[in-house]
Parts: sequence; structure tokens; C-alpha cells
Amino acid sequence: MSGTIRSVSVVWLLLLCLVLCRTLTGTGAAPICANAQAGCYAVSLANLFDRVVQHSARMHGISNDLHSEFEQYFLPSKNQVGRVGRNCHTSTILTPNGKENAQRMAREELTEVILKLLVAWRDPLWHFHRSMAHHHDFTNFSSDKALEMSDMVHELRKGVERVAEKMQTLGLMSDPVNSQVSPEALPPPDSGEWRRMKDYDLLYCFRRDSNKVKNYLKILKCRIVPEHGC
Amino acid sequence: MKKPSEAVLLLLLLFFAPHAKGTRFSPPGKPALTRCRSPEKETFTCWWEPGPDGGLTTTYALYYRKENSEAVYECPDYHTAGENSCFFNKNDTSIWVNYNITVVATNTLGSTFSDPVDIDVVYIVKPNPPEKLTVTVMEDKGWPFLRVSWEPPHKADTRSGWITLIYELRVKLEGEDDWEMHLAGQQKTFNIFSLRSGGTYHVQVRCKPDHGFWSEWSSTSYIKVPDYFHREKSAWILIMVFTAFIFLILTWLLHMNSHSLKHCILPPVPGPKIRGFDEKLLKNGKSEDIFSALVVSGFPPTMSSNCEDLLVEYLEVYVPDEHELMLEEGKDLHDHCLKSEGSTSDNDSGRGSCDSHTLLMDKCGEAKEQGRQTEQEERPVETQRHQKEWNEDTLPYAHEDTVSPDMSSGRVKTWPSVFCPLPQYSSSPPNHTSSLEIAKQHCLSDSLFPPGSTSSYLTHPGHSTKETLGPSRWEFSLSNKQPRSLHPQMQTRQQLQARSDINLSNVGCEQAPVGLLPPTARPTEYVEVQRVNEEDMVLLKPVASGRGCGDGCPRLRQAEDYSKVKGVNSDHTLLLQREVMGEEAERCPCQDQETNGETDSCITSSTVTTTQKPPACNYTAAAVQDKMAPTVSGYVDTASIFTLPTY
Repeated sequence: MSGTIRSVSVVWLLLLCLVLCRTLTGTGAAPICANAQAGCYAVSLANLFDRVVQHSARMHGISNDLHSEFEQYFLPSKNQVGRVGRNCHTSTILTPNGKENAQRMAREELTEVILKLLVAWRDPLWHFHRSMAHHHDFTNFSSDKALEMSDMVHELRKGVERVAEKMQTLGLMSDPVNSQVSPEALPPPDSGEWRRMKDYDLLYCFRRDSNKVKNYLKILKCRIVPEHGC
Repeated sequence: MKKPSEAVLLLLLLFFAPHAKGTRFSPPGKPALTRCRSPEKETFTCWWEPGPDGGLTTTYALYYRKENSEAVYECPDYHTAGENSCFFNKNDTSIWVNYNITVVATNTLGSTFSDPVDIDVVYIVKPNPPEKLTVTVMEDKGWPFLRVSWEPPHKADTRSGWITLIYELRVKLEGEDDWEMHLAGQQKTFNIFSLRSGGTYHVQVRCKPDHGFWSEWSSTSYIKVPDYFHREKSAWILIMVFTAFIFLILTWLLHMNSHSLKHCILPPVPGPKIRGFDEKLLKNGKSEDIFSALVVSGFPPTMSSNCEDLLVEYLEVYVPDEHELMLEEGKDLHDHCLKSEGSTSDNDSGRGSCDSHTLLMDKCGEAKEQGRQTEQEERPVETQRHQKEWNEDTLPYAHEDTVSPDMSSGRVKTWPSVFCPLPQYSSSPPNHTSSLEIAKQHCLSDSLFPPGSTSSYLTHPGHSTKETLGPSRWEFSLSNKQPRSLHPQMQTRQQLQARSDINLSNVGCEQAPVGLLPPTARPTEYVEVQRVNEEDMVLLKPVASGRGCGDGCPRLRQAEDYSKVKGVNSDHTLLLQREVMGEEAERCPCQDQETNGETDSCITSSTVTTTQKPPACNYTAAAVQDKMAPTVSGYVDTASIFTLPTY
């Protein structure tokens, strides 16, 4: 009896090892470097862009879902949308409102806008998530979405920064973008303004801003690496 | 007549007057914005639904306000998009900006504002359908598939990444109603597999921005798939031929080995063999031949065999003094034999030879002994009859077979105790006495009683003085030496015996070597115990003798109740008591026959009715009764009754 148990346990251990090894080796956990260096896993710009674009698209999708959920359960009247839209705290950030404007904007500026937006939304989303967790009106699914949203904003910013670095290394962008993008250089978001926003307004504003980010990134991508999916 | 119609008309006019007057002018009704759409996220159009115009010409105006601005602008273009529409061109369109749009209907009486609608152009994008849909049939390893390709709508700028579209196409066979949907994603080509050869397909495609509305379906593209059967069919044909070939081979093999297979699967069942049974005869259809072959000679015995062959030899049993010897069985056998020939109506097979009247008649000299007897059997002596039997029958002497008597229920046969003249012993010419003795001896010896029977009717020759006179037994002692000094019963018996002897001697048995039978024989009647009544009395009934009886004999005999058994004494003998039913007189005439030996007359006289009573009989009867009642034990015989008064 003990022999069989031993053998079974050994087998299980082996299986576990195999799985772990596969996961470890398969996914390639080496950090991504802009430049192919030792210990880094070099990713092409196109690949980076694809990743970023997909990431932004996902982020927008989540925000859209949350917004529609909010609108469905908490705001029966549609007309409140107009009232809300003017109080987004990111309205100070100048963003191109049209295709020509966006295409006319330089890639560095565009990247900067993206980064600004992403930075601006990091704290409010985090607070939003925390407020959702406290409010038991929301379902767990919404709370998880909010958390995911805040995480994605954070990671998207990092990704975009990485892309910018890559572009700079490739000579596609000039340096001044980085300096402006640094979070310390950005004026701190109005600490009080977004707190006055209600949850619904916050969601509405973020939904729009995530759409902007997604669109801008796509434009960048198709401008810089147009060969895939443009 | 006219007046009511006029009144009706007036009423109608009055009723409809206000309506008939036509329009009541009013301010226009409230218009409503139905939808706003942007095909490429650069321009958009809004349509509204005009309300009731109120009877006057109504104008509509659309005003909008942008987000974070209080300036109100009017629609720049009312015509491009058609009636009741407002078209916003690129210059007027701002993406990610909230528009607050209102439509106003105005007529001379007033204006009505519609409900404001907030829109963001990003979320109202509905592109045009994809263009340049092409479908081609391609071949993949011999199997066809459709390659569908298309172009995005030309207005939608997907190249710059401004709009990201996802596509969807649908396919159906010609004539069917159900479409097969395929989501193609962002790619602009698609492959469709699993086609039906020879079918015509309809293909359509549409697109949608990642957050927006689906476009309309593109125009249908038709494609006909050519027939691709020949390739598959050849392979199928080959397979079929091969299978058929194998099947034929298997069938042939099975046929060849059918017998061995049969033996394996269904082993033959061994049939029965009958010696001498020829199946061919069966086939011939002659059953007689078959069965004759089956018939083993000698079995079963046919009816043609002599009855005598069936007779079993008697057992000659010498029974000591305690037992009474009776010989009946042999006679009974003969009786049976005779009966089998349909001579008698008595079917009691348990009879001994002595019992059977026919047998007695026929086989007077038989030396047969019975193996069994019942205690209750009583054997009246009927020498006369026996003599007759002896006279007429030659066969019984040769018989040695016996048929064991059996008791038929309810009927006890009385066995004559005398059938002494046995052929075995009678080889010498009749020396009457000696022969008688011998016969008696044999008879006595032959008679078998059950061991319990203590009837003392063992009279050996020379044992004349024996106390064999059991109360219930009647026996002829053929001894002629019987002293007359015996007690009355004995005397009676002796007399009887003497008489019987005489009778026996007188009987002329021509054939019987014994010659013991006197020609004149008193008719000895069998007494048949008819039944046992509830008082444990055996009711006897004289049995009509077969041959000795005359015409009227059986009739009368059966009518009378012969005697009653008073009881059974310790010697297991039945005490008979003749029931006086006024019929004793019948017997009386028979006493005369002792001397004359005319059986017939006796019998006939015995058939005399009760009224007829010979005078002597009365006394006789009385005497008989007196005598018989207490003391008589054994058979009650007519002879004895008749003889009694002769003291």
C-alpha cells in the first residue's frame, strides 16, 4: 500500500514539474528589451504595437461594459449623459477630435497625449475600484472589472512607454517625448476635481478617454508599422 | 317621408360640421429625432420624424450644441441626406464631443421643440457594406472550397487606422432558407469548406466597427461548385468490387464446407435405434410390415393361446391340523377360464375353484390348491354341482394352474370345502371309498386356510374324529369312517359326509378317474355373502348355480336372504344363521333329493315359493332354526338343513 502511494506521489511530482517547466519555458518569461541584449527578449516594434493596441482595445471594452452596466441599473434616464460629459477632469488635456487633426499631429505628440491620458486616469480608477468594492450595490463582476481596468491603465501606460522607447531607439521618434511623458513632469491631476465626480460620470469619461487612447494608438501603429492589419 | 331623411341629414351635418369644416390650425406637433448615423466616423446625419403639422405649413429646424459650449448652431445641411434630415460634414463633426441636438417644428401658430438628444459620433458609426465581394472555388487536395474576399467600404478609412472594422459573411445553398454565418474578424478573406458538389452558393458579407452598428449586407455573390464525384466514385467502385469478390469467395467456401460446419455448429443428434426396425419400410408406407418386424415372437401373447396356458400351477400346500385345508383356487382358476369364455356373469376373480359354481361343475376332480384364502370365505358344499361339473368337464383335471382367488369387495364367496376327488390322486379305478378318502385327503390338504384360521375342518382320512368342526366352517369330511358316536353335529356332518360320500360316489364321473362323484348329487348351493350389515352381520345369499340351476332358480335364489352370520367365533369362523324369512320350506323338498339325486327337481322344488311347504319341512325348518341358531357355525347348506330333520 505504501509502495503504491509512493509511486503515485512520484508520478504526480513529475507531472507537476513537467507542467511548470513547460509554463516557464514556453511563455518566455524573460523581460522585453527594446534592444536585443543578453537576458532580454527582443520584441519587434510591430509586435509591441500589436500588443499595445490589443491592450487598449481590451481596456476600452471593459470600460464600455461597465458604463453600460451602470447606465442600465442606476440611470434610467438617458438625458443625463449630456449633463455629465462636460465635467471630465481630462478635458484640460488637448486631444485631436478628428481624423485630420489626429493625422496631422506628430507621433511624438500623439504618444504624449496617450500617455497623459493614461496617467491622468490611474488614480481615479483606483479610487473608483475601491469605492465599488465598498458599495455593495455593485456585483462582484463589476468590481473585478473596475480593478482590471485600473490595472490595465497602469500596464498600458508602461507598454506605451516601452513603445516610445522602442521608437526612439529606432529613430522614429525624437527624444523630447520621453521627457514630457515622465510622470513627474506631468502636472499632478487635480486632486479634488475627480473626487467630485460621481461614479457614473467617471465611467463615462473614462469610456471616452479609453476610446481615444485606442484610436490614437491605432493611428500610430498604422502610421509607423502599417503592414499588419491596417 | 322626406322630413325624416332631411332631419337625419341635418343631424349628420351638425355632427360632422366641425369636422367637415376641415382643419383646425394648431401649432405643429412635436417632432422627434429618430436616429443619427455616421458612416465613417467623420460625418454624421440625423433624421427626425415630424409630428402632426397642425394644419399649417410647418418648418423644421435642427439646432445643436456642442459639449462645453453654450453656442447653438443650426444644422448646416438639410438636404444632402434627404428630407427631415440634417447632415453634418467633416468640418462640423467633432469626435469625442457630445452633441445636444434638438429639432424644432414651426408653423404660423407656434413652434414645438423636440426632445434633445445627446450623441457622441464615435458611438453611432454604421459603416457601409463591404465592397467588391469575390468568391472563387479553390481546390485543396482534391476537395473544393470557396475563397471569399472583399473590400471594406471605400468611405471607411481603415488604412490609417481611424476605423477598425470586423467582418461577417454568410453562405447558403441555392434554394435553402438557412444562412451559414461566419465571423471573419478583421481579415478580408475567408475560406468556406464542406461544399456540396454541384451546388450553387450565395455569399454575403457585412462589417461593423469595433463599437458601433452592423452594416447592411452586401450584394449577393453567386458561385457554382463543380462536380467532384468522379474521383470519389472510382474509389467506391473499387471497394464495392473488392467486397463483392470477397463475399463470393466466402460463400463458395461456406458451401464447400457446409457439411463440416454443420457438424461443428449443429452436431447431429444420435437417433434411437430399434432392432429390427427398418426405416425403408417406413418409407414404403406399410406400417404392418414395420410393426410385424418389431413384433417379437412370443410377445405379447395373443388371445389364441389356450386359456389353460395362463393358468398357474397350484401350490400344493400341506397345512397342519390347525389349518383347514381348502381347495378352491384351482377350481376358481378354471372358473375364470371358463368365465373368460363368457360363461358366467360372476366377475369375482377372487374365487377359488371351489367357489365358482361353474368350476365346481366342471372340475370336480381337479387337484388344485389354492394359495390364498380369506377367512370369511365359506364354502358350501355342493357336491351335486361339482359332480355335474366333473361330468361335463374334462379339462380341469389336467389343469394344474391356479388362479389365486381374490376377494371382491363385499362379496364373500363361500367355498365348498369338498372338492376332494382330485385327478392327481385318482389314477386308480374308482375305489370309491379309498378314492374318496384320497380325494378328501387331497381336498382337505389342498384347502388352505389362513394361519389364523382355527377351523377345525381338517379332516384327514383317518382323522375322522378330529375336531375340525369349527363353528364357522363347514366341511365335508369324506371320511367314511366317521363314527356315529360323535355329537350331533358331528353326526350330522358325518351323515352329511356320508351322504356326500354317497353322493360323491354316486356321482358318475365318467372321466374322472376318481369317480367319486355320485350321479345324484345334492345340489350344493353356494352361499354368497352379499353384504355385511351394520350389525356386523354377514348376510348370505345363495348363489345361483350356473348349470345346476333350473330356470327359476336364479330368480328365487336371489330373492331370498340366505342366512345371517351371527358372528365370528374364536376360530375365525363365521357363524351363520339362516334367516327365517319363511322360506325354509323351499329347502324342504330338496331333502328328498338326497336319495334320488335329482338335482333339478331339488332345485326346482327349491324354487317353490314360501307358501309351499312340504309338511316335513316345517319341522325341519323349525328344527333347523332351533338347531342352527345357537350352534350352527359354518356353512349353512341346504343340504345340511335338509338333512337335519333326518335324525
